[in-house]
Order: sequence, then structure tokens, then C-alpha cells
Amino acid sequence: MTTTLPVLLLLPSLVPAAVTFFLPQDSHALRNILQLGGAVLKLGLIVWMLVAVATGATYEAEFPLAPGLVILLRIDALALLFISLSATLWLLTTIYAIAYFGTKAELSRFFGFFSLCVAATTGLALSGSLISFFIFFELLTLSTWPLVAHKQDKPSLAAARVYFTYALPGSAALLWAIIWLESATGPVLFTEPPDLSGLDPAALRAIFALFIIGVGVKAGLVPLHGWLPAAMAAPAPVSALLHAVAVVKAGAFGVVRIVYDVFGAENMTALGVGVPLAIVASVTIVWGSVRALQQDEIKKRLAFSTVSQVSYIVLGAALASPLAMIGGLVHLVHQGLMKITLFFCAGIYDERAGIKRINGLNGMGKRMPWTSACFSLGAMGMIGLPPLAGFVSKFYLGLGAIEAGAPWVLAVLLASTLLNAAYFLPLLYRLWFLPCAANTKCDERAPGLVLPAVVTATATMGVGLLAASPISPLGWATLIVTQGYGP
Amino acid sequence: MSTIYSGSLAPFAVLLWPLLIGLVPIVPRWRANALRLLPFAPLPALGFAMAGAPGSVVIPDLMLGVQLGSGPDTSLLLGMTALVWTVAGFYAALFMARGSAAGVFASFWCLTLAGNLGVFLAADIITFYIAFAAVSLAAWLMVVHDRTKDALAAGRVYIALAVLGEAALLSGLMIGAAAAEDLQISTVRAAFADAPLGSLGVGLLIAGFGIKAGMVPLHLWLPLAHPAAPVAGSAVLSGAIVKAGLIGMVLLVPEETGWRSVLIVLGLLGAFGAAIWGLSQRNPKAVLAYSTVSQMGLLLVLAGAGSQGVAYAALHHGIAKAALFLCVGMMMLAASPAQRRAVLGLAGLVALSVAGLPLTGGALAKLAGKQGLSEMLALAVTLSSVTTTLVLGWFLIRLAQIPAKPQQISHWGGAFVAIVGLGVLALVLPWVLWSGIVDLPRDYVWRPPNMLEGLWPVLVGLGALAVIRRVKLPEYPPGDVLHLIGNHKLRPVFQLPVGKQGVQYRKRATLRLLLMFKIAERWLLHWPVAGSTLMGVALAVTAMVWIAS
Repeated sequence: MTTTLPVLLLLPSLVPAAVTFFLPQDSHALRNILQLGGAVLKLGLIVWMLVAVATGATYEAEFPLAPGLVILLRIDALALLFISLSATLWLLTTIYAIAYFGTKAELSRFFGFFSLCVAATTGLALSGSLISFFIFFELLTLSTWPLVAHKQDKPSLAAARVYFTYALPGSAALLWAIIWLESATGPVLFTEPPDLSGLDPAALRAIFALFIIGVGVKAGLVPLHGWLPAAMAAPAPVSALLHAVAVVKAGAFGVVRIVYDVFGAENMTALGVGVPLAIVASVTIVWGSVRALQQDEIKKRLAFSTVSQVSYIVLGAALASPLAMIGGLVHLVHQGLMKITLFFCAGIYDERAGIKRINGLNGMGKRMPWTSACFSLGAMGMIGLPPLAGFVSKFYLGLGAIEAGAPWVLAVLLASTLLNAAYFLPLLYRLWFLPCAANTKCDERAPGLVLPAVVTATATMGVGLLAASPISPLGWATLIVTQGYGP
Repeated sequence: MSTIYSGSLAPFAVLLWPLLIGLVPIVPRWRANALRLLPFAPLPALGFAMAGAPGSVVIPDLMLGVQLGSGPDTSLLLGMTALVWTVAGFYAALFMARGSAAGVFASFWCLTLAGNLGVFLAADIITFYIAFAAVSLAAWLMVVHDRTKDALAAGRVYIALAVLGEAALLSGLMIGAAAAEDLQISTVRAAFADAPLGSLGVGLLIAGFGIKAGMVPLHLWLPLAHPAAPVAGSAVLSGAIVKAGLIGMVLLVPEETGWRSVLIVLGLLGAFGAAIWGLSQRNPKAVLAYSTVSQMGLLLVLAGAGSQGVAYAALHHGIAKAALFLCVGMMMLAASPAQRRAVLGLAGLVALSVAGLPLTGGALAKLAGKQGLSEMLALAVTLSSVTTTLVLGWFLIRLAQIPAKPQQISHWGGAFVAIVGLGVLALVLPWVLWSGIVDLPRDYVWRPPNMLEGLWPVLVGLGALAVIRRVKLPEYPPGDVLHLIGNHKLRPVFQLPVGKQGVQYRKRATLRLLLMFKIAERWLLHWPVAGSTLMGVALAVTAMVWIAS
């Protein structure tokens, strides 16, 4: 059982993907059942495994691809953190997407790639070796391209092209780094940190930089973030998934894996690359926020906000102190919950009221109370208002920064808080306190769209309110750090 | 699973109750009448405080582990806060319009109240911070409730400062918590002394609390917000909410730090400066707002000097100032000369108590506060009574100028009785509490030197008032420093317009900076170029490393 389980986790996404591609466009019911069934099944599997892994169990499955190339799927606490996030949000996004698209064209293609994308994310999380990580990383790039281009109009195709011009050099850098490293150390498994003594520090620094460039493109690190705001042309469910779990999170997760399981926190500090990475993350945090402030389109503002917020995770990894790492890891989940809420809501505003720009939000609080309440919760969480999710991450990051002897990070967090307030509070003011513009036609009679947003918004509040309980994301992140990386 | 809580749930229930009442307006049918519930929201807290705030509770799974409980200082202020909110809530329930905005007002009122009570009940910094954020941010709605131009401008200044204060406070708390490796308020406070950035942390805390407490020069929002808010809102802002900043200073600023003298200096500046500046105001609520800045300055002096009587003095000021603000409301609603005389009489009495006339509650508060102060500071506190008399005398003059309402309003008498009760408590409560709290014999109050010390500044102040009445005082809009800068409706940065409409060229420097970001961003977006350059650089680095090794 222990060897089949990781494979079993991939199947609920892979099988629907394989079947859906060949379904005729009109068989909506079958496709939806496949999608939802897969998502529910996977979530069930994960809940079952959470209990086992919490007590220290690990599951492994190995496939030798070629001599020296081993596909290793492994379930550890860190992998489960990412998988449970993606599985939960995948189910919700599937419900949302089904309601969003209704009976539009090319849905079999869409949902096929959609499942494939989630399978890739799952595989990425389960990867126990660098090479399997790379394979799923590439699968993710390839499966998200058709999603971004889904509408097949000019902006979508342009966005998809931009996405590729960013992703491919990133992949090249990643592959290069892997080959360079493994040529000296042999295959790298995340369970056993590789022996880096055979490489001189300069080479290690270069490899580290290449790794970070490779995954940093996906994580939206400045200056590699340009594709992210451009990808806004994609349909709302795609944006939601891309920003919350799939692509940017894969990048951030990659940073965590590389820092902790390939190099190790001590080596990183010894090489002196932790501080530069923290600086890059800090620049990204501030840069994203400032650019978000300047955006007039809701989705673009959210996109730049993602650029900024995902770097919290990178920052936590770069600081390499236990508390900072907890803060970063927990933000992996928290940012996902908050951002997917915001994107769900942005999609509802667009779909049900035709609102794309922030001035259209005036007075929507009364007209669309559920959506607006969810949006407000997500936005307040992003600002870091207690007791919402964002506050918990920020507090741990701040403590971790001091613990790591980098108190200047506090100034970054402070600036980020103020900037977040500056670009989110005016939206809330518009929603609730300004009179409604004209007689725009709007309604919220779309439970498939509103319900997922309500669930994630409630979760945003829940994970903050119950942060100290052992089953919260914070509890899980603490478990990861104390079990795996702690002193 | 561990236990859900340990201890007594009473302090938790006291906080939960107003939050539950705050949810009532969610039901549309109940919205219009939600205001009627406001006086009931603080009642459990009032009862809890009167019973001596017994019991504490730890709820380990909630937030980062909620700990509630109160000490002697905090339970005193908890009771004062609950009392002020009860009477102000009663006023709001009687006189505030029951439009559609009433529901929103009621919700925010309850949230602010819960936060206000929470700062006195919190025993760990996270709970404290959450409560502080609630009282700070939710009070914004009270400022802008009337939606007038002035109210919205005041609201902008208020929210900008409140968010800044929150950020400063959180950073300060993080520094303390990192050094303490614990979240308990007392441990964190003790940890600042040896913490690596302890001094910076304390400075940030003082800035954060100072904004709330109206510490000069961070008091800017206060004289703008008080006149703009509805009367009930001003009463709780001035009486109870500003005390959240004060209790923060008392609980978290450690004694052995140079920052304490900063508190004293800024407190003195506020105590005298704000009182005198208040003479330039015409709106009685603005005059009172400056008086609040002045009195808070005095309390900051006491907090900075480590006086034992700071909570006791704050209790008196909170009740008295709330009563004075409510008097303004009663005056605006008064129709007959008898009603106006009654309001003026009550306001005069309470004002004299604030000024410290012997044998009033205010005199007791001053005596208790001065205990343990150096002679110089004690003299300064005594002297501040002169300016207090002056500014509150000016307030009474302006109060008398409020035009009478043409016809009687129902419930005026009932509301007035409640406010008289509040005013009487300001005079009497310090007497009742004296022996339990102040470490001085009761006859200390009656000793001739102490009586004289209270009397002469009031007389001097009244004399000065008689002189000042004959000269024409200058008139400035509220918001002193902002006004001096020349633009008291400063648009905070986040109001920057996007797009071409309404670009404010006054903010050119900021805009230029933002433009630089935009241009830089465009430059970065040439990824195909940037990407290949990057690859080239990486290749060169690799080659160099290869050769070197």
C-alpha cells in the first residue's frame, strides 16, 4: 500500500484528464461528474493520509526511468501541505468553473488541460527527487498554456505567448542548474541532502542563482514577473487557480524545496546567498504592491498583489529561521485561500455585473452583498488585519526575521502592510460606502460561483481564528518545520 | 485534543456579547431598530467590572492562544469604558436617525466597543493587538457617519493615521515578542530592556499608541474627527477610545527606558499647547477635542513618570469628558431656557471637576496622579489646571452660543437624567474608589495645602478667562498642524487617482516616483531581451567558474 499510494493520488486527476479530452463537447453531465468525482475522491484520499503523516509516516513510490534518472514520488508533511491546499481549491474551482462556463465552447479541451494542470501540481508536490520535480514542472508549464489561451482571442493568445517566452528560459535555467549540480553529486533526492563539498562555493552560488531564476519565473520574482499580469487575459477560474495554487505556488514551493532540501538552510547561509534572496523577495514585495496601487483593472491589481504576496513565501524560506519558515509555509496556504477568494469574486463581478474596473465597484456592497462580503474578507486578510489569515503569516514572518537577525525585513513588512491597505481599502470604501453608479444589471443568483467564494472566505477567517489549533495550516507548518528542518 | 478553555468564561462572554449584538443588523428587518440595542451591549462588561473583574481565561486554540484577564488598572478603565459606552449608547438609541445607515452604524459601534473593552481585558499581545485594531479601524465609521465633506476629510486623515499606527504597533510588538519568545503582555514588556532593537521597538509602540492617545504631534486626527462625528461617537471617542492608547503605554512601555522622558515632554507640550490652541476654535466640540488632547497629554505625563494614579485619573477624565460631549448634544436639542440652563449648569460643574476644583472628583484624580511625581512635574500638573480652566471656560461660552431648538423634542428629559448621572459619577466615583486604590489617607484631600493647590489655578484661570473674553480671539479651522501646513484636507497617498481624471499635481513628487516604477516595469517587460541577456550572463558565469576550478 505504501508504494501505491502516491500514484493513487495522481490518478484522480490524470484519469479524468485522459477521459475528458475525448468526450464530445455536449456531454456536460458526464464531464462534470468526472471532474467533480475526481476532485472529491482526491480530497478524501488526502484527508485519510493527513492523519497518518501527522504521526510521522511517509509513503514512497520509485520508478527508474533510466540509469541515474529516478522518478520518486514521496508523501511527506511538506508535500501534503501543498497537496491538501491544491486539492481543496481544485474542488472549489471545478465547481466554480462549471458554473462559470455553463455550456460554452471547447469545454472538453479546457477541463482536460485543467485536470492535467492539477495532476502536474500534485506531481510537483509529491516529487522526491530533482528530476521528477523538473518533469512535473514542465508538465505544468505545458498544461497551463492552453488554459491561458483558452478564449483564443487576440489578447489571450498574446498573453499565452508572453507566458511561454518567460517560462521557457526559466525551464532552461532550471534544467541547467540540475545538470550542473547532479553532474557533481549524482542524482539528488530530497530525503538525503546531497554532498555539496565537491563543488566550490562560486559554482554553488551560480547553481543556486540558476535554480532561483528557474523557479523564480513561476513565483513571479521581480524582474521575472512580467508574464503574470499579462496572463490576466485568461478566464476567471484559470486566473484563480493560477494565482492561488498552480503556477505561482509551484514556483514558491520550488524555492522552498531548493532552499531546504537541496541546499539546506545552513549551506545557504554559509554560501551567503540567503540575504540576496531575501532582498530579491523584499524588492518583489514592495514592487508588486506599488504597481498594484497603479492598476485600474481589478484583475490586474490582484495580479500585482499576487506578485507581492507570493514573495512572502520566498522571504520566509530565504530568512531560514524556523519561525520565518513557518510564516512562509503557512502563507503558502493562506495566500492561496485569500487570493482565490478575491479572484472568484472578481470573476463574479465580471460575469454577473460586467464590472472590470475598480470604479465599477461603487455601491456593489448593497447589490451583491455575498460577493462583496467575501471580497472584503479576502482584501482585509491581504492587508493583514487580525484575526484573518494574512495576519498570522505576517506575524510569524516578522518574528522570524528578527530571529534570523534581519530586522530590516520588518520595514518591508511595514511598507507592504501600508501599501496593501492603500490599494485594498479604497476598493472596500467603493463597495460599501459609495452610491451605486447607474442601473447596472447585476445579480448573484449563481450559487456555483458564489458558494466557492463563500467557502474560501470563511476559510480565510477560520484559519486565522483557529490558527493555534493543531489542525490549522499554522499547526501543520509548525509540524513540518519541527519534524523536518528544526534543530 | 486539549481542553478548549481553562479558567472562567466570563471575560470572554463580556467581549462576545457586543459582537453578537453587532450581528443583529445583518437581518434587514431588524436593521432600523438596531440602535435600540446599543445601551445593552456594554452592560455585561459593566457588571463584570463592578464585580471587580473576577477571573481570567485561556483559550489555547483561538487565534494564537487567547488569554484574557485584568489587573487593577485595567479593570478600573474597563468599568469606565463600559459606563461611558452605556450612556452614549442610550443617547444614540434615543436621538440618532433610524435610516438605513443606522444598521451599519450599530454594527461598527458594537465592533468598536468590543475592541475598546478588549484592550483592557487582553493578557497576551495578539489579543491586545486584535482589540486595538478593532477599536482603531472600526471607529472610522463613527467619524464619517454623517458623510459631510468635513467628515469624509476627517475620515481620510483618521484612517491614514490609524493604519500607520497599526503598522507601527505591530512592528513594535514583533520586536518585543521575538525577544520574549512569549506572547504574554508582561513578559513582552520586560523583554524590551534587553532586546536587540528594544529601543526601536518601544519607539514604535509609543508612536502607535500615541496616535490613538492624541499625543502631540500625532494628535492630528483628533480635532478633526471629534467635531465631525455624531455626538454619541464623539463621547466614546474622547472618553473611552483614546484611553486604549493610554493603557497601551501603561501596559507595554517599560519603566527603565529613555522613551519615558519623551512621553513626559510630549505630554507636557500637549497639556499646555493644545489647551491654548483650543481657544482658537469656535465649534464647542472642537474646543472639547483640544481639551481632550490637553488632558491626554497630562495623563501621558503621569504614565511617563510612572505614577500609580494614572488609571484613576483616566477614569475621571473619561467619564467627565464623555459627559461634556453629551452636554453639547443636549444643548443642540434643548428648546426651553430652563433646559439650556440645566445643561450649562451640568457642563459647568463637570468642567470645574476636570479643572480640579477642590473636593471634586477631578481634584482627587490630580492628587492621586501627582503622588510620586517629582516636584517640577507636580507643579506642572498643578499649573495645567490654569489652562484647563481657560479652555473649558471658553468651551462653556461657546456652548451657550448654540442656538435653541424651535420645538421640544421627546425623551430629552430622560436622556438628560442619564447624562446628569454620568456627570455626578465623574464627581463622586473618585471619592468612592479612593480608599481602595489610592495609597493615601482619606483626609489627605481635606488638608489645606492640598485644597489650596487645587483652588488657586482655577481662580487664576477664571481671571484669565475674564480678560480673554474682552479680546477677539483668532479663529482657525481645527487641525492645527495640518492647517499650518496649508492644506488640512491632505489626500493620503492611497487616494492617488488612477488614470488621468483628477490628477493632483500637488502630489507631483509622488506621482513622479510612481511613474518611475511604471517606466521601469515597461523596461523589464522586454523579457525576450532580458531573458537572453540573463542566459548570457549565466553562461559567462558558468564558464568563468569552470575555468577557475
